[in-house]
Amino acid sequence: MSKKITTVYLGPQHPGAPGNVGFKVLIDGERVLDIDLIPGYLHRGFEKMMEYRRWDMDLVMSARICVEDPDHVELTYTHAMEQIFGIEPPEKAQYIRVIIAEFSRLASHLLWMMHFAGPIAARYALSWAVAAREEILKWFDYVAGHRIYHHYIFPGGVRWDIPSDFKEKTLKVLKIIKPLIKDLEEGFFKHPVFIKRARDMGRLKPREAIELGATGPVLRGSGVAYDLRKTLKYDAYKYLDYEPPKGDYGDSYDRAMVRLKEMYLSIDLIEQALEKMPYQGPYRWRIPPVTIPLGEGIGRVESARGEFVAHIINYSSKSKRTQTPYRIKFRGPTWPHLTTVLKHIITNEEITVADLPVLIGSFDACPPDIDR
Amino acid sequence: MVLKAIKLGFKYLLKKPYTRMFPVKDPEYITKRTRARHILYMDRCVGCRACQLACPADAIKMYRIEGDFPKNRAKIFPGIDYSRCTYCGLCVEACPVNALAMTNYTMRHLITEDKATTLYTPEMLAKPPEEEHDITLDKRTWTPPPPPPPKK
Amino acid sequence: MATISVDEELIEKLPEKYKDKVVVTGTDTGVRQELFIEPDDLCGVVRAVKEAGYDHFLGITVIDYPDKKIFELVYLISSINKNSRLVAVRTQIPRDKPEIDSIHLVYPLAYYQEIEAYEFFGIKFRRHDGLRKFILEDNWEGPPPLRKDVDTRKIVLELYYGGKRYERPIQWRSLGGYSKVKETGEGK
Repeated sequence: MSKKITTVYLGPQHPGAPGNVGFKVLIDGERVLDIDLIPGYLHRGFEKMMEYRRWDMDLVMSARICVEDPDHVELTYTHAMEQIFGIEPPEKAQYIRVIIAEFSRLASHLLWMMHFAGPIAARYALSWAVAAREEILKWFDYVAGHRIYHHYIFPGGVRWDIPSDFKEKTLKVLKIIKPLIKDLEEGFFKHPVFIKRARDMGRLKPREAIELGATGPVLRGSGVAYDLRKTLKYDAYKYLDYEPPKGDYGDSYDRAMVRLKEMYLSIDLIEQALEKMPYQGPYRWRIPPVTIPLGEGIGRVESARGEFVAHIINYSSKSKRTQTPYRIKFRGPTWPHLTTVLKHIITNEEITVADLPVLIGSFDACPPDIDR
Repeated sequence: MVLKAIKLGFKYLLKKPYTRMFPVKDPEYITKRTRARHILYMDRCVGCRACQLACPADAIKMYRIEGDFPKNRAKIFPGIDYSRCTYCGLCVEACPVNALAMTNYTMRHLITEDKATTLYTPEMLAKPPEEEHDITLDKRTWTPPPPPPPKK
Repeated sequence: MATISVDEELIEKLPEKYKDKVVVTGTDTGVRQELFIEPDDLCGVVRAVKEAGYDHFLGITVIDYPDKKIFELVYLISSINKNSRLVAVRTQIPRDKPEIDSIHLVYPLAYYQEIEAYEFFGIKFRRHDGLRKFILEDNWEGPPPLRKDVDTRKIVLELYYGGKRYERPIQWRSLGGYSKVKETGEGK
């Protein structure tokens, strides 16, 4: 048997790559020996740009960090900003935020089918998922005014009041997407081809997952019940009753199933929030729009991919209030998944080239939050 | 289980396509809240440049317009470059006199071969679109919220 | 909501020098136990923090203070089992000699976070074998861009736009071209 070790580049244009990111793959025949991330294709210098802009403009920019799941980035930024301003949102806004965030998670998980079902050649699954996502985007257009970048969550509450027929319309949307997700489960997640491709591949043990810094569905798929919604209880999550799903074996199949269960959980959470939320009362406190006080805030949110952190420091040696924040740092959940976790799995397990898109897909990578 | 997937596949095969045939068959999808083209009320504008300062994409620039504007001594009005505008609505929120509003008249007016036509001067913004539209974002629909609660 | 008191186990594991230095601060999701240390003690303190059960490394925030002539590094470390409590280990290093020990042997993820701090702030991490341009590779020539005294706009203009100004005023603070508005309407 001849040994020939070659270097192959995967991405950023490769359909199996998760978009905007490249990989340098060292292969021996079919087996992948090592993998290195090549980031930077989507580096837009947001952290520097935000230092030049007012805080309300920064919120609008922060949504651009992760296109697939913009509301959670806005939510982290909002949490950090609210700590600097020293205010708490009204109760109604907390419920609306939960509904918006869960819809964003749902939309993100449905779009993830494109990265995951596509490489397994299950094109039907992704077209059903995108149809369900389309309903959510239309719902976002109805509530927030836009389909992708909503800018609806705002420091101090939410930007506009909800429409009068909010509850009926939201329940109607859920009624449409529920059978679609059910069909996805029947048609894709129980399909033997999917199970064969994903089962027992890319195993991540719980101890290693914690050590390497994995969060979100990747960590929960390994059987660690760590969910910031449950532990930090931000916004209205403290009033809701739920149990975040977790896998037990930690392979790609478990990670995928955790995401499927999270879709059902999101629907359940939205229904609960719609029942419990107060439909009267204020939805936003007015904050002075131009200047911010000095201070420091850390927003931590369980986004669709894992823990998203925004660390905002406002400092000035001259005045008590400034117009622009001094430094903003974002920590995205994709960092560990595509660097340490991926490297660990590939060096410890026999992964072939054909497995690679499925493995990378099972992390639900969103490379823009590496680059920012 | 494979049969189940095939069965489901046939179910979806018989459904009509989900795609909207825009602009040939279907109109674009808009709601009562879709944020799109602005309207400028030139009789209300005081030329304070709050919209220009609030624009994250630097799409707004102030133009000097000759004419009789008692409220606007400097005679400067915002013009919007729609090749940059992201329709975030911060300019409408920033306006102290409710001189800017957003309609749900969507990007049809931007379909163009010449990029220069995406630059809207104050006079062009002041003319409301001829087709039917709703005012979606406005200080009147956006009731001013109460002052913040005392700090704990 | 994270608990407000200081974690006893953390105090127990910390070196003698810092036992009474832990401060609880912050509100809402940002409740944290802050600890200000000397840069030379970093490795020992971080190891102690990990032994106390804080196993989830979040990241390094570097803040540049040109007026104080320092870089401040904030290591955010959280815990999986302790209700996602947060520890912020802060340290300051001089701006003209930015060097600090690497902690990637304690937390593997720090390896990549330190590369990011290196390329954006020019901080050298001792005992780190892979300091290179990672995100900025092939994208950026010049000083570390996130430093406060680096005028990235000027460098970008020189590098990519041939020294010409971009057609419209870029910084909102410069108040657009109000004084330069021409009669015809075209701005600066």
